[in-house]
Amino acid sequence: MTDVTGPEGKRRYPLRWHVMDALEGAAGVLWPRRMAPFTGWLLLAPALLLVAVLVLGMVQIAESSLHTLDRSTFLPSEDYTLENYRTVADSATYLKVIWRSLYGSFLTVVFTLILAFPYSYILVRTNSAFTRKALLVALFLPFFIGQVVRAYGWLIILGNAGLVNDALELIGVERQRLLFSFPTVVFGLVQYMLPFAVLLLAPALTAIPREVETAAGSLGANWARVLWHVVLPMARPGLIGATLVVSTLSLTDFAMPAMLGGGSQDFIANAIYDQFFRTADQGLGSALALLLVAIGSLLVGAIFAAFGAGTLAMGGRE
Amino acid sequence: MEETALTVRVHDVSMDFGSGTKAVDSARFDLETGRFLTVLGPSGSGKTTLLHMIAGFLKPTAGEITINGQPVDALPPHRRSIGMVFQKLALFPHMTAAENVAFPLKMRRWNPKGIPARVSDFLDLVKLGDYRDRRIHELSGGQQQRVAIARALVFEPELLLLDEPLAALDRKLREEMQLEFRRIQKELGVTTINVTHDQREALVVSDEIIVMDGGKIQQKATPVALYQQPANDFVAGFVGVSTFLDGSATEGGVEIQGTRCAGTHMTDIAAGTPVRGGIRAEQIRLGRSAQAVADCDTRLTGHVSDMIFEGERLLYVLNCPALPGVDIQVYYHDPDAFDLFEIGSEVHFGWRARDLRIFRAAR
Ligand SMILES: Nc1ncnc2c1ncn2[C@@H]1O[C@H](COP(=O)(O)OP(=O)(O)OP(=O)(O)O)[C@@H](O)[C@H]1O
Ligand SMILES: [Mg+2]
Repeated sequence: MTDVTGPEGKRRYPLRWHVMDALEGAAGVLWPRRMAPFTGWLLLAPALLLVAVLVLGMVQIAESSLHTLDRSTFLPSEDYTLENYRTVADSATYLKVIWRSLYGSFLTVVFTLILAFPYSYILVRTNSAFTRKALLVALFLPFFIGQVVRAYGWLIILGNAGLVNDALELIGVERQRLLFSFPTVVFGLVQYMLPFAVLLLAPALTAIPREVETAAGSLGANWARVLWHVVLPMARPGLIGATLVVSTLSLTDFAMPAMLGGGSQDFIANAIYDQFFRTADQGLGSALALLLVAIGSLLVGAIFAAFGAGTLAMGGRE
Repeated sequence: MEETALTVRVHDVSMDFGSGTKAVDSARFDLETGRFLTVLGPSGSGKTTLLHMIAGFLKPTAGEITINGQPVDALPPHRRSIGMVFQKLALFPHMTAAENVAFPLKMRRWNPKGIPARVSDFLDLVKLGDYRDRRIHELSGGQQQRVAIARALVFEPELLLLDEPLAALDRKLREEMQLEFRRIQKELGVTTINVTHDQREALVVSDEIIVMDGGKIQQKATPVALYQQPANDFVAGFVGVSTFLDGSATEGGVEIQGTRCAGTHMTDIAAGTPVRGGIRAEQIRLGRSAQAVADCDTRLTGHVSDMIFEGERLLYVLNCPALPGVDIQVYYHDPDAFDLFEIGSEVHFGWRARDLRIFRAAR
């Protein structure tokens, strides 16, 4: 305890109390008490500003998606047209890319959750501080490395002369072409998404009291039934949150398909990149970008509608 | 067979978490079918540890626990016939009250056709018939309590374990639930072990009480026997003895710094042995004149040092020059005379020899 009575019996408060008083006084001048009902909006303002800028950008993209590229002048056409959207709809390649993105993000969600669930469960339930620390470090280490460097690492490990092929050769299996295939892209995405999923699942699992599982056991449920009837339903908010984050992040991912797919396994983001920075067809790129936003929003909307927002709702429900 | 009448046998069971003292130290008792046993003890005395070992969630570091002659851990938890109500209830929040109660029946593969009727029966038993479709968070604390009890009883366990389930409830509800426990247990005849640190609850609901302290069983007795013949000063203190006198034994009493007090030796105690006498607040007589305590075996005078109004009675704290350093607590029941003795006033008090129980001092 701090002694607030000085030698002469005068009260002496710590310096930081005076600093706080001064700050409070200043705040009172800048934002008088009667403005209190609007404080919420004030705090929201920066975020709202950011969203507003984003919306402005979107409007601009929408505008440019309505002009085709004039191949002779390399300038956008004057008149408004839906030609770019028609191009996408008519193109087997683009439809394939969209389908690949959706299917790839679906597979990523499934595999990520299957791997992240036991990982989070052990992380939360283990009694050993060492195990917990080891699991956390293993989780965050790749986080620090960054996506591009990590993808590059996979290039080295999975390449024709990489570690995996060396190992295969050792046990007498022929060298495989592992890179630039769809499964490899999904593999890279799963590995990339795992920490996000664990971070969203762990709090949901922490919220399940250990006693509830013990109780379920004593009531007659073996471990599989405890998992199915108690742990999974109670972990639902975490599962939904993880699904939302992993599906949107992998649907819109660029680096993994680009590097591990080597151009043969493009996702929508890669196609957009090509339009903007290779062919310089801003109109088509914008159309694809809007399409991606629409697909992502629909996906999130569908998950929201079916299951609620999970942990992302931050206690909005229940 | 002798074993048929015996449900639980705890055989010199110890639990050592490796932190110096044992959480449970050589506990030994038997519990017969259909009896209601309460384990009473202060916080940290090893009650939960003992209960969890009986449930088979913890393996004793020494000794053995058998249920109907079979070691508890011979079967995995989900195959045992033990219903448990946890300290924090551990209800399933994603299910309704009825679904919670149906859970053990489904898990234990009862005939699905019979389940709804049985669930209704048990919800009625705990007076929750109208709340069957409520989610757990839509129920009050006492109602959640009763769902937990119905869930633990519905599958006809041989043994019911209760880990301070009433501790979180307010006093009135707790007392209601205590009687309800008693009623349900008698109705179903299920062997029950209840854990609590509430001596009143133990006395009200139990056929037998075990008092624990520091991991050791201090006494096992019926409520009446425990109240009348506590085995030592700790047990006495736990069942309501509030004034203690430390001194040395004399013939028919105890001597405290030269003052002889009449009392009853609870065991054979040689004169001169360090002893501790204990007496209940309601067994000390109090009056303004010596006449009021004329029929007491020990008669003393003192001053009122504090007075606590407890509603239905007054608690006086007395200091007595003949018993230095002792706070003497006396209950006083007189509905019309709350201000009878003022703080500081001189009073006469005393007790009969049979009411001051004298125990050996060192435990
Ligand atoms: N898992 C554990 N590891 C180490 N020590 C433990 C563990 N569980 C309990 N203990 C210790 O064992 C002793 C008995 O604990 P227990 O939980 O059985 O007490 P209790 O009688 O149930 O107390 P309360 O009334 O507070 O619930 C305590 O000293 C406690 O610190
Ligand atoms: Mg306990």
